[in-house]
Amino acid sequence: MNSPPETPSAAERPAVTDAELLTAHINGDPHAFSEIVKRHRDRMWAVALRTLGDPDEAADAVQDAFVSAYRKAATFRGEAAVTTWLHRIVVNACLDRMRRKSVRPVADDELIEAAERESPLPDQTLEREVSMEVSAALKMLPADQRAALVLVDMMGYSVEDAAQVLQVPSGTVKSRCARGRAKLAPILSHLRNRSDLNRVSSAKGDRTS
Amino acid sequence: MTGDTHYDLEILAELAEGLLDAATARRVREHLAVCDPCGELLADLAAVREVLAATPTPAMPMGVALRIDKALAAEAESRRGGVGLAETPDWNELMRDTPWERPAVVPEPVRLGAVASSSDSSSDEAAEPARLGVVSDDGTIVPATSRTIRRRRWAMPAVAAAAAAAVVVGTAVAATNLLVAGGDGGASVAPPAIAQPTQTPQPTVTTQPQRGKGYPVGYTVTSSDHNYSDPELRTRLGDFLAPAPILGDFSEADQVAKCVTAVSGRSKLRVFAVDQGQYNGQEALVVASWKQRAAKKVRIDVVDPFNCKNLRKPALGRW
Repeated sequence: MNSPPETPSAAERPAVTDAELLTAHINGDPHAFSEIVKRHRDRMWAVALRTLGDPDEAADAVQDAFVSAYRKAATFRGEAAVTTWLHRIVVNACLDRMRRKSVRPVADDELIEAAERESPLPDQTLEREVSMEVSAALKMLPADQRAALVLVDMMGYSVEDAAQVLQVPSGTVKSRCARGRAKLAPILSHLRNRSDLNRVSSAKGDRTS
Repeated sequence: MTGDTHYDLEILAELAEGLLDAATARRVREHLAVCDPCGELLADLAAVREVLAATPTPAMPMGVALRIDKALAAEAESRRGGVGLAETPDWNELMRDTPWERPAVVPEPVRLGAVASSSDSSSDEAAEPARLGVVSDDGTIVPATSRTIRRRRWAMPAVAAAAAAAVVVGTAVAATNLLVAGGDGGASVAPPAIAQPTQTPQPTVTTQPQRGKGYPVGYTVTSSDHNYSDPELRTRLGDFLAPAPILGDFSEADQVAKCVTAVSGRSKLRVFAVDQGQYNGQEALVVASWKQRAAKKVRIDVVDPFNCKNLRKPALGRW
């Protein structure tokens, strides 16, 4: 259930590319789109969950995004990667949601409270703790900074890839990241010297930056 | 440029990101070389990246994935002659608006007290329409919607869930009897929010999958679909776990029984109530066992319904 959505290694790279699947879908193949969904849903979920910080909202956003991608598949132009295109739709769905209603402040308290009070299970202690604190901290950032940090620092995309997803210049992504990190530093600095931090496994894209 | 003037986090973050012009960058670097506090800040900034990178990103929960598949199937169906997913008809969807599938509007979720007090037939029946179920082969009334509820787990808003909960009242009586019989007998609280259709032939629950397999008997299974949080699990759980008794279909009941056995094996306590819901957005079984019955103290295990592993540390709670 918690297996990380890795980019497939060269050995198991699927024979059919995303772009081919999308074309097949446009041409009426009834199974092509579900294959695309299957390939990318974990990653899309991660982006939405981290950007919105709320599982219900994230589920709605990802669903909206996939349905909308299904509908406007024909408008996809080959110049961007299918993944970039999908990310863009998901991120925009998330940003839309955040704009429509500012995310509930109650959830912050709950998360922080829970993070403080619970001493989680030994096997997932660190993951859960860090995860809760990070979620709570991210929610304090403005939407654009949050989206940039989720893509670049959490998901491990290059600044250039994130810029394509967000459809802004690379410099804008950099400055959003910089400002976001500056705001998070005082909140998260106490996690700094956790020797075991770097052993926490997680699902990341390839770090290219 | 040493001594007094320090740089704030934002400037330092911009430096790290290469956003400062050459002259400013040089000044800041010179300062950093001699200023420990600013060096600390820079390290804090680096730590932010590290912490964010180390934060695990969970896979999409099964419930969300199913829900998306469903939405896409509906989308495919809605395009006539266009791209369509080859699928068997979704009977739940097709039958949704038939009278027996449509839950009446109910003002508030059924509470334990309400359900329990109805089992003595003296309960007054307020203006409550008789609810229909489907008569199964052995003559018992099976709530028509239970499958629908399960399938739409993620999509169902709280109010709808409450309404649906009211529809399954037929089995609720039987399930609650179990609790009352083996329980503290003091289920006296709360005025009946919903009256029971008294004419309904008393349904007998014959399909208890846990029976005859050596599994612990005598716990209720509810499916509130509620998304539990830690603060809630510290409040009185009788109010939470009682509202929506249903028995899931066979495979689910088996799964529940498996987890109940696993939990009681770990705790050596008697499980008396299980609720199928969510925990912080993830599908979960909330399992209550008596720790100290007289004091209404319970142990609460929150487990993953698929592998029965605890999703958080077992905790004491109140009933």
